[in-house]
Amino acid sequence: MPFWFARGLRRGVVTTRYPARSDGSAAFLPTPPAFRPRQLTGQTADRLVAVCPSMALRRQDDVLIFDVGACTACGRCAEAAPDAITPSGEFELGATARSALVKRIPIRGETR
Amino acid sequence: MTPAHFPVPPSLPQAAATLNGVVGPLADLGGLVISDSGATRGAVTVRMLDETLEAATRALAGTAGVRLADMFAADDGPVTTLRLVWAHDRGYLVTETETEGGQYPALSEIVPAAFVEECEIYEQFGIGPAAGEPLNRVMLPPHAGQDFPRLGHRPPQPLDGAHARHTVEGQAFEFPFGPVRQVGVESLYYGLVTSGEEVVDLYLFTWHKHRGVEWRLRGKTPREAAFFAERVEGLSAVAVGWAFAAAVEAALGIAPPPAAARTRAVALELERLYNHAAAMAALCQATGLSVGQAAAEIALERLLRVNAAAFGHRYLFGVVEPGGVSRAPDADVLRRELPGAYDELRRAAGALLSTNSFLDRLEACGILTAEQAHRLGLVGPVARATGLPMDARRAGPYDEVPATVVTADGGDVLARFNVMIGEAAESVRLISAFVDAGTGDGRTPLPVTGGMGLGWAESPRGEALAWVALDDDGRITRARIRPGSVRNWRGFDDACRSQNVFTDIPIIEASFWLTVAGMAR
Repeated sequence: MPFWFARGLRRGVVTTRYPARSDGSAAFLPTPPAFRPRQLTGQTADRLVAVCPSMALRRQDDVLIFDVGACTACGRCAEAAPDAITPSGEFELGATARSALVKRIPIRGETR
Repeated sequence: MTPAHFPVPPSLPQAAATLNGVVGPLADLGGLVISDSGATRGAVTVRMLDETLEAATRALAGTAGVRLADMFAADDGPVTTLRLVWAHDRGYLVTETETEGGQYPALSEIVPAAFVEECEIYEQFGIGPAAGEPLNRVMLPPHAGQDFPRLGHRPPQPLDGAHARHTVEGQAFEFPFGPVRQVGVESLYYGLVTSGEEVVDLYLFTWHKHRGVEWRLRGKTPREAAFFAERVEGLSAVAVGWAFAAAVEAALGIAPPPAAARTRAVALELERLYNHAAAMAALCQATGLSVGQAAAEIALERLLRVNAAAFGHRYLFGVVEPGGVSRAPDADVLRRELPGAYDELRRAAGALLSTNSFLDRLEACGILTAEQAHRLGLVGPVARATGLPMDARRAGPYDEVPATVVTADGGDVLARFNVMIGEAAESVRLISAFVDAGTGDGRTPLPVTGGMGLGWAESPRGEALAWVALDDDGRITRARIRPGSVRNWRGFDDACRSQNVFTDIPIIEASFWLTVAGMAR
């Protein structure tokens, strides 16, 4: 045991503020999508609903309903509609109610 | 001159010749070697009649060097076809039999390894062994009604009637544990039967993670399906993705470009490295060695960052695609970053191997013998730690750079830990050799045609298998994906029962390093 204690000390302080500093590797973490309502047409919304493998997206008239709790951040939607979707960069989400994780995205794009 | 492609799996007469000793007895029993379009490519296919299936299974189970790797069913019109995949050093053999009357002989009485598959086939297709022990629930939850999505027709009777009731009598009691367990561990229910301290019996409920992946693959093109296939078991994304891609390639009679095949091998070995680091961290957590756990987790995080820098994804998703790979690794990153990350792992392992309080918990814990491992069809480090030198890393890139199989004796947790340490070193060597030989991206185009194929890859937790049937439009009619976890959970209860106490179970689970998701799919 003293060996492990000494090893821990040698490596320095083990508790830090969080985050201690910005971390370049965070750029590789997959994150849920962020939507651009103006770029989102009804047609695009239907395509996104079809492409989502975890059924985190569904459409209700002129609103796209996005359940962040069901999203696995696979990135398929961003691949399917790069104009309307960007990665949110938000990988630490918290909410006190399940319903707070369900977002309503207005579909404002013009249907051509 | 470098060949444009690695050779596709041998043509059927050649493959049958290499497995002559195995196929011979089946022919005596009326087995018919199939070589037309109805054959599973990548393996030797033998069609057996319903009435000789039992004798054929007995013959194969008694053949030295042959083990049951998988068993599954597929609905072909009105009949259900039962396929058994047998593994041999020189390749695979598939027996197929059309079942009649919703029953088949109780094969797990002959090959105990088949029990999990018997349970699965009953849940999904409603056909069961004619006799034998009561079945367990594997994939479908108890509340799964008649309209719950299944691969085949519904079971003829409510599942409750066929499933084992777990009752405890006498001086023992049942200690329920799970499905919600420690942070970061998958949902899994243990029914622990104990007399106070010793583990008398243990059974598992794994269905909490069922996602119906095989059901969802039907009707998809191989490229669409690859996304789901690698998510069958996220911690083996490369291995399962490779097995699936190889099955598709075998069915279509194509092979990936050599540089792409080497890229797959690099990704597969990186996957093995980070999984073994994660298993080491879990072992430390299970033994209460928090500094050791932190040391192993530092190594794990560094390895995941190497993955991200080399392939763009920490868990290497999306690298393998049917026909080839989507991207090549950044060779400079691997040469620059991997030695340091591995060194972190090596030093943590070295420190652990000189810590007596850690080793005391590992020695003689969760013992499995080679005989048990063979009988239960175990694979990967669990089987190798009993001295069985089995490894699915053959053919393709591993013909160029053969992998050295690391084994140990003892069959306990310490033996499994030693195998993992040895394999990590071997993986680093292999990655370096593959990078030097030249990795690249690229895909062989997939022809739009039908066929059936078998594919495999050695995941960090053992051989992953996939079997795919494509229709003439190139769409999947049935895909069977069997990660290594399915095989090795079969040996988990035996390991836990071998003279162990409660607190040994997390240690044994960490040393197996399986996933529930892979089991329940």
